[in-house]
Amino acid sequence: MTTPMLEIRNLHARIEDRDILKGVNLIIPAGEVHAVMGRNGSGKSTLSYVLAGKQDYEVTQGEVLLDGEDILGLDPGERASKGLFLAFQYPVEVPGVATMTFLKAAINAQRKARGESEMTTPDFMRAVKDAGRDLHIDSEMLKRALNVGFSGGEKKRAEILQMALLRPKMCVLDETDSGLDIDALRVVSDGVNALRDPYRSMLVITHYQRLLNHIVPDVVHVFSDGRVVESGGKELALELEAKGYAEFDEAAA
Amino acid sequence: MPVPVRIGPAEQKLIDQLSAAGASAAAERLGAVGLPTRKVESYHYTDLKMLLRAVPELAGAGHALSEPALRIPGAHRVPMTNGVADIAGEMPPGMRAAIVHGAALTERDDVLVRLNSALAKQTLKLEIHSRATQVVHIDRRTEAEGPAHMNDSVHLFVADGSKATVIETFSGTDEAHLSNHASYVAVGKGAELTHILLDLSSGQSTNLATAEYQVGENARIRTLTIHVGSALSRINLFARFVGEGATGDFTGLNLTTEGQHSDVTLELTHAVPRCAAKPLFKQVARGRSTAAFQGKIVVARDAQKTDAKLMMQGLMLSDEAQILSKPELEIFADDVVCGHGSTVGALDEDSMFYLMSRGIPRPVAESMLTRGFLEEVLDPIEDEELHSALEAVVENWLEGNP
Repeated sequence: MTTPMLEIRNLHARIEDRDILKGVNLIIPAGEVHAVMGRNGSGKSTLSYVLAGKQDYEVTQGEVLLDGEDILGLDPGERASKGLFLAFQYPVEVPGVATMTFLKAAINAQRKARGESEMTTPDFMRAVKDAGRDLHIDSEMLKRALNVGFSGGEKKRAEILQMALLRPKMCVLDETDSGLDIDALRVVSDGVNALRDPYRSMLVITHYQRLLNHIVPDVVHVFSDGRVVESGGKELALELEAKGYAEFDEAAA
Repeated sequence: MPVPVRIGPAEQKLIDQLSAAGASAAAERLGAVGLPTRKVESYHYTDLKMLLRAVPELAGAGHALSEPALRIPGAHRVPMTNGVADIAGEMPPGMRAAIVHGAALTERDDVLVRLNSALAKQTLKLEIHSRATQVVHIDRRTEAEGPAHMNDSVHLFVADGSKATVIETFSGTDEAHLSNHASYVAVGKGAELTHILLDLSSGQSTNLATAEYQVGENARIRTLTIHVGSALSRINLFARFVGEGATGDFTGLNLTTEGQHSDVTLELTHAVPRCAAKPLFKQVARGRSTAAFQGKIVVARDAQKTDAKLMMQGLMLSDEAQILSKPELEIFADDVVCGHGSTVGALDEDSMFYLMSRGIPRPVAESMLTRGFLEEVLDPIEDEELHSALEAVVENWLEGNP
């Protein structure tokens, strides 16, 4: 059997004294798109933060293997350089740091960590222009401070632009649909779909089925009370939409 | 009957130097009260009596031993070594330089001013009579093979309707110098001036400076005071609006690193109506260091329609660092808009996580965010070469160099 892109084994995590993740098991093979659905407060966003390595959370048990390698001992920067990418639900506004400066620093930091040479400025400019075109991102937006004053849609498109430029092998999308109108949702979804690739896996976290009409998953997992309680095909999302989450809470109990 | 203060060896040396220079009144005063302690409100955070341990011999004439601490392509550089300016080179059009005897500052009740007035032998007088585009760099250095006590003085006059950008740098040989600089700046009616003070002096030195600004009718002034270099620094900024309708952006970057103590103290007086000022000072402290800022805005009884907003923002990069801030407003007029604010914090953890989640290593993310924090102060410097020279100074500091 080939190594899965992401394997989460019995993951427990807490913030302060509150247990949030209570034994998550999840396997995502290379090239597959998996969705995690669950109601607010079920621990979905915590899962994304723990995967990316946010300091506030303490992992008390379990393992996370990225392409066969345990990443829990790595800091967020090292995980990113290994090919993990988190598209934030609420991208952080960073005053004083121009978006272009940030993009270049991120790309070159990852290349450096992988022992590759830095990208030249013309190559970088071309890459940004190409990636930005499909996402309707113009150069004016990229001159502004990172996410500062961006609309909800602009922030999400900027996340996907970063994903396109950084070419991660494992993408975690945390509620990428939140705050998007129908048109923006289509642009963002098209951007994500364009990055689907046999060597790239995705974990799409959402609580609405709507996003999954655009980004069609291979597998859907239902998340409740800090763990995966049910897994199935894409029709599971439709079932959830029809029945609500209550039925699955019993499975978690 | 006041109890006589105990005079320490550093103070005694200053008293002797003042006496030898014929400044008996200043010597007597220092002998009676000593250097200011933290009980003196304007030196509350910088107890000179305690912090100033040694006073070296007065500097001789001296000649350039060090390299210019800052090179700004395209700028006209006026070297000034141990108080003696070299004005032999041709000045840019519309500018005149001269050397006059004595010091430049007014009779201000401050110990640094009294010392400088008594000990600075000559003043570089620079007059600007045009709308200059060329940056003027006054390269003030303390040059000696051992520690020296040096006082120098500059008088800058920007004529009515003129425009200029002037940067003064403080540097010198790598010794435990005591340098005390004075700048007197007059900005004429409708004139525009960008004036920068940049301390790049050696890590063992004590750098003291006083700048006085007189701002005329409808004039526009932007000042930027940057501390990077010296171990002990105190910079006095005394600004005064003397003509109506003037605006002033008084700004600063107080950057401190291991072992440094740097204090910037601003006193801004609105003496006339309808002037606007936005003092903005940013402080970043790392290691065991202290960055202090005091800002006082005085609005005179007649200075109606004053619009003044004082802001201090501090960024702590270590748990051992100390950032001190004291804003004060003294308002005697009743129809004014005045405010002040002060914030101190560490780097935002969410921003750090966001940058790191994109593969940016922690130290790089820290310096990106710190640079972002300082950007607001550097951004308005219009001259591109000067702007990038200042960026490079900040960059160098961020990379951990003094």
